Amino acid sequence: MFDILSYFTDPVLRGPTIGSILMCVTSSIMGVIVYLQKRALVGETLSHAAYPGVIVGLLCSVSLFHFEEANPLLALFGGAITGSLALYLLTVLTKRFRIKSDSALCIVLASFFGIGILLISMVQLTHGGLYKQAEGYLFGQAATMGDIHITLYFVLALIVALAVTLLYKELQLALFDANYAKILAIPSFSSIIFVLIVTSIVVGIRSVGVILMSAMLIAPAVSARQFVHKLSHLFWLSPLFGALSALLGNVFSYEITKALSQDRSGGKIVLPTGPTIVLVASSLCLLSLLFAPKRGLVSRLWRIASFRMTCAKENLLKYLWRHKSGSSEESLYTFLAINPLVLRPLLLYTRLQGWIEYKNGHYHLSKDGEAKAARIVRLHRLWEVYLVDYVGLGARSVHSSAEEMEHILTPELEYELTELLKDPMWDPHQQPIPPKGFLR
Amino acid sequence: MNPYTGTNFFTFFTTLIGRLFSFSAPLFPDEIQLIVLVGVSLSCALVGVWLTLRKMAMLANALSHTILLGIAIAFLLWRQLEGLEASFQMPLPYLFGAAVLTGVVTTLLTTLLHKQGGVQEEASIGIVFTTLFALGILLINLTARNAHIGIEAVMGNVDALTFDDVKIALPIMGLNILILTLFHKELLLSTFDSSYAKALGYSGHFITYGLMTLISLTVVSAFRSVGVIMVLALLTIPPTIGRLLTHSLKKMVLLSALVGILISLFSVALSRHLLTEFGLPLSTGGLLVALLSCAFALTCLYRLGARQKKMRSPHRLKQPH
Repeated sequence: MFDILSYFTDPVLRGPTIGSILMCVTSSIMGVIVYLQKRALVGETLSHAAYPGVIVGLLCSVSLFHFEEANPLLALFGGAITGSLALYLLTVLTKRFRIKSDSALCIVLASFFGIGILLISMVQLTHGGLYKQAEGYLFGQAATMGDIHITLYFVLALIVALAVTLLYKELQLALFDANYAKILAIPSFSSIIFVLIVTSIVVGIRSVGVILMSAMLIAPAVSARQFVHKLSHLFWLSPLFGALSALLGNVFSYEITKALSQDRSGGKIVLPTGPTIVLVASSLCLLSLLFAPKRGLVSRLWRIASFRMTCAKENLLKYLWRHKSGSSEESLYTFLAINPLVLRPLLLYTRLQGWIEYKNGHYHLSKDGEAKAARIVRLHRLWEVYLVDYVGLGARSVHSSAEEMEHILTPELEYELTELLKDPMWDPHQQPIPPKGFLR
Repeated sequence: MNPYTGTNFFTFFTTLIGRLFSFSAPLFPDEIQLIVLVGVSLSCALVGVWLTLRKMAMLANALSHTILLGIAIAFLLWRQLEGLEASFQMPLPYLFGAAVLTGVVTTLLTTLLHKQGGVQEEASIGIVFTTLFALGILLINLTARNAHIGIEAVMGNVDALTFDDVKIALPIMGLNILILTLFHKELLLSTFDSSYAKALGYSGHFITYGLMTLISLTVVSAFRSVGVIMVLALLTIPPTIGRLLTHSLKKMVLLSALVGILISLFSVALSRHLLTEFGLPLSTGGLLVALLSCAFALTCLYRLGARQKKMRSPHRLKQPH
């Protein structure tokens, strides 16, 4: 029985679900900042760089402080230290040694990760129990999170959210006018951002893992960016996407694992939570890239297609208006620069609308169609008059511009043009301009 | 019996030289590791030069992640067709297919997201590789029923190398050398004067795709020994060391290759040394990367010293221009 509420109340499911949601909220808040700074891949480097620190933290908690279990706080702390170190090295490499930022990112990433692997091979020998845990940080281990993690992550999420709220104005300034922010000398502001970024990454690697962490910074921010264009809205929407992917990731991972283990007894197939969360987040991102109302690819293509359709329709009406005796289908195909695949449905559509009629193998304009065509011709010629009288172009060179503008001019603009030009009767080529509200 | 057992850093090399001159088969594990690592690091160092010069390092990072999906698909196909036990030790044609497919698909998706989707370039790289990597992990988990295989592909395991890996690493090294020498002029032109290259009819896209395919082949040859992520160190650190030390492309290529080969020799020897003297079986891949980063840090320090010396030099102001 599927019950979404049980993910928040069940003592076993509660830890992973709420923990991942908190973690995703934290990282997607910081993701907005990183994305707007155009440094999306910094997260990738930092999360890998946190790995040796995490292992050292785990080691310390067992061998130095003699905790029974590895302490998550110490692991986080170790990760934060190496993460910050990596961030510092990045700036040194790019600023002092003028190494290209992409090379610097890669070098730091691979070096720290390699050292992490070196450490882990040492841990494998000395602390066999820790090895499993240290491996868990690679792909994340959401399933083993408990109430202690929820408390810890809640506090960290709160800190990040509070910091962003309190520093909102400064953030806005630093993101959109970095030079001005520098002039105002907002003290050590970038270091605060750095600390917050490192914190959010270190929180995240427990459930999503070192390798996939950067997705949780980028994907929610990119999805949110498709829908809104105000910074404050971004800071609301991006965590929402993050939380949704965490929840769905947990649900899918748990339900599919359950379904698979019922199906085949014996074989232990586990859908790991971390990669599932990442997949959900990137599917959400893909969906918003495609279908977001204004910036989405599909809606953009749709707008382009419908504008082309309008142009084709208006050109057809205009053509028929010029050939009052009617025109056969063949000549339409020949003289209109419209793809036959488009023209055929267009003819059907305009006939159904009652704008054109089909008589004796010829297409004619109907009364309605004539009014429509006349308006287009009127717009065309009004624009030509405007260009000649007000812009001062020669009468010969205005046709092509008018050919485009006739599809764009709105009734309001038509009214303004009529007022401005005092409702002219003739266009620059001595052709009559159809009067307003023309009907023959 | 393995003659390297019980050798330390220096006796490792004397044993190696002795073995070289006596020229006796068969190869021992240390020698296989040595050959594979040298082959891999030479391929990486050569192709890495162009990678860093063309600012494609992060694309290579993306590739090193997405290659897991390619490998997983090739692995499934291989197991389906030939029905063998679960191991990533696949024959060359499968690996080749996986590499080419991943190289092209990764580049294509990233460009598509960047150009058509209007996402920042870095962000589109980030989204593509994390998604494909997550898919790869899920695919492996669902089909291989062995989560450890995924971890092994990430970490690499030098000790699991066999002679079959030599048969993969060396041909890919040869291919790298061949292609990079043949197309040296074109690469040079399109890297340093892309507009002129375009005017002459060399498509930048074609070169980018070709280079990406070459890189993904290199990553494929390396993933069993050093893992898909540490390969990045081999790809970027030696060329950057070369770049920091010289301004000439030829010297940069030579330096990069030299650093790659030397460090991989040292890492195998050092790993044997640590095992003999301290009883520490460390990951040779990790050791290799650690040594590389040490070399990189030393180069940086050297540069720093050289610059300060130059600043203090009394001739500084007298230099022409």
